[in-house]
Amino acid sequence: MNINLEVEIVEQDSTAIVLLAGEIDAYTAPKLKEALLPLAKQQGLLIEVNLEKVNYMDSTGLGVFISALKATKESGSELKLVQLQDRVKRLFEITALDSIITIDSTVRGGK
Amino acid sequence: MDFQSCVKIQKEWDIVGARQLGRERAKAIGFGTVDQARIATAISELARNIYLYAKTGKICFEIIDDLEHKGIRIYAIDSGPGIEDISQVMEDGFSTSGGLGAGLPGVKRLMDHFEIDSEPGKGTQVKTVKWVR
Amino acid sequence: MNKLKLDVENYRNLLKQYITTHDETSLYQAEQFSKVSMQHNISPEEIIHVHIEALKDLYPHLPSEVDDSMNFLLEAMISYGLAYQEFQSLREKQLELKSEISVAANMQKTLLSTVKPTINGIDIGAISVPANQMNGDYYHFVTANDESLGIAVADVIGKGIPAALAMSMIKYSMDSFPENQRFPSDILKNLNRVVERNVDPSMFITMFYGLYHPATSSFVYSSAGHEPGFFYNAKKDTYEEIQGKGLVLGVTNDTTYEEFEIKVKKDDKIILLTDGVTECRLGDRFIERDEVLEVIKSYIHLPAQEAVESVYKHFERLQDFQLRDDFTLIIIQKNV
Repeated sequence: MNINLEVEIVEQDSTAIVLLAGEIDAYTAPKLKEALLPLAKQQGLLIEVNLEKVNYMDSTGLGVFISALKATKESGSELKLVQLQDRVKRLFEITALDSIITIDSTVRGGK
Repeated sequence: MDFQSCVKIQKEWDIVGARQLGRERAKAIGFGTVDQARIATAISELARNIYLYAKTGKICFEIIDDLEHKGIRIYAIDSGPGIEDISQVMEDGFSTSGGLGAGLPGVKRLMDHFEIDSEPGKGTQVKTVKWVR
Repeated sequence: MNKLKLDVENYRNLLKQYITTHDETSLYQAEQFSKVSMQHNISPEEIIHVHIEALKDLYPHLPSEVDDSMNFLLEAMISYGLAYQEFQSLREKQLELKSEISVAANMQKTLLSTVKPTINGIDIGAISVPANQMNGDYYHFVTANDESLGIAVADVIGKGIPAALAMSMIKYSMDSFPENQRFPSDILKNLNRVVERNVDPSMFITMFYGLYHPATSSFVYSSAGHEPGFFYNAKKDTYEEIQGKGLVLGVTNDTTYEEFEIKVKKDDKIILLTDGVTECRLGDRFIERDEVLEVIKSYIHLPAQEAVESVYKHFERLQDFQLRDDFTLIIIQKNV
């Protein structure tokens, strides 16, 4: 079992860019939650999560994004996901979460 | 039963003073090297808790030396924020300082007898005893 | 077996033996010594103390600095000893918890179990295997007087006991719908509200619910973010993905679900699954959906129950008998 997720946050005015790399699963999801939820609870923030380097995500990862989405709705912030790999994007499509979370552009491939 | 002396805990350095006094007292009453070390460690934990959470308090020693028993009784007393849930802090695996192994359960393991009393907003009092074997 | 004596004399002799011979036997005996010591809850600082005494015995003229350094080491090791004791205590607690979960898992099996219905002209196969003790997948069959067959497949995201409770919600919700009102879109809509209100914000449920009416041969269904199944059209000899997008349960309280319909003819098959099937890893990569289909195709000629079990065994072998996620597969075959 490896803690296999890197999280980097760059804050700029009213935008926070969250760069993720690695895998989001039951072991790494808490780390993502710790980073994302405080941002989601801030008011009037645009949170852009870059998943270009995320090559695996399972439903626990989705759960974190759902919590974050709910928090942004309450605090008046915005959540946006960018550069998703195909497999990860599919997860958002099947669950129809792509109809309630803003998702932008795809990076082809991913192992 | 006689002679109580206390060390005030205000600065981190005071923890060292409390350890030293405790060890000296323990040695004087006849504790071996290992038990001296254990007692010093227990004092260290208790004093550290005072320093970290209550900001000020005191560690007091009472030597027990009568016909039946020989030992040392240690009090850790503070009027800090107190502990909300004592059962939680006495649980293994629970740590506010992110460390392994020590904490109050550790003190309990190092000593022979352990009692704790705490009231949120009022303070905390720990009483712990070790007997010479 | 020789009960190794836990005392200075014994340790001293072993130590002397090693210093003189440097042989492996002494080291092996040291290992035995520490094993027995641990069984007797001897702490590291006591071992160091024994070592100090042994050294003094063997080499009375050692410089005092060596003695001092050993005392220093003794202090340093006390924390390790405390950590070890905490570890032991936690290990015991973990065993207790594991057996409690075992009990809960068995209760879940009994309370939430579903009976595979026997319906004229329909062959049903169903299998659901948890990856761990508590199964996060759930399936439920519902029958009615008009011989309609309702099938729900759900994947509860979130683990353990909260997940099991969510499943109870699904089952009792479904069972409490009057027979003639079990419309898939309604059921999902209501379940969604229940889940959204009652479940922790990061928990959600994907679910597929379908109702087969033998009188009209129609299969009406709705999906809440669930992994799409497959429909085998016997006449065209093709497999199609069962279309139908819908939001997972529990995200927003006013979600509505679209209903879809498929006509089911003789020899057609409905294949439902959870993502435990599609998330199989093949070495470094994930299996593709068409590969999953190929596996299913290779066993589909078998009776439905045998088919699902064979597919399961196939994937079990592929993953070295260690599935990552709960595996659920249902095949419904129309024979007439």
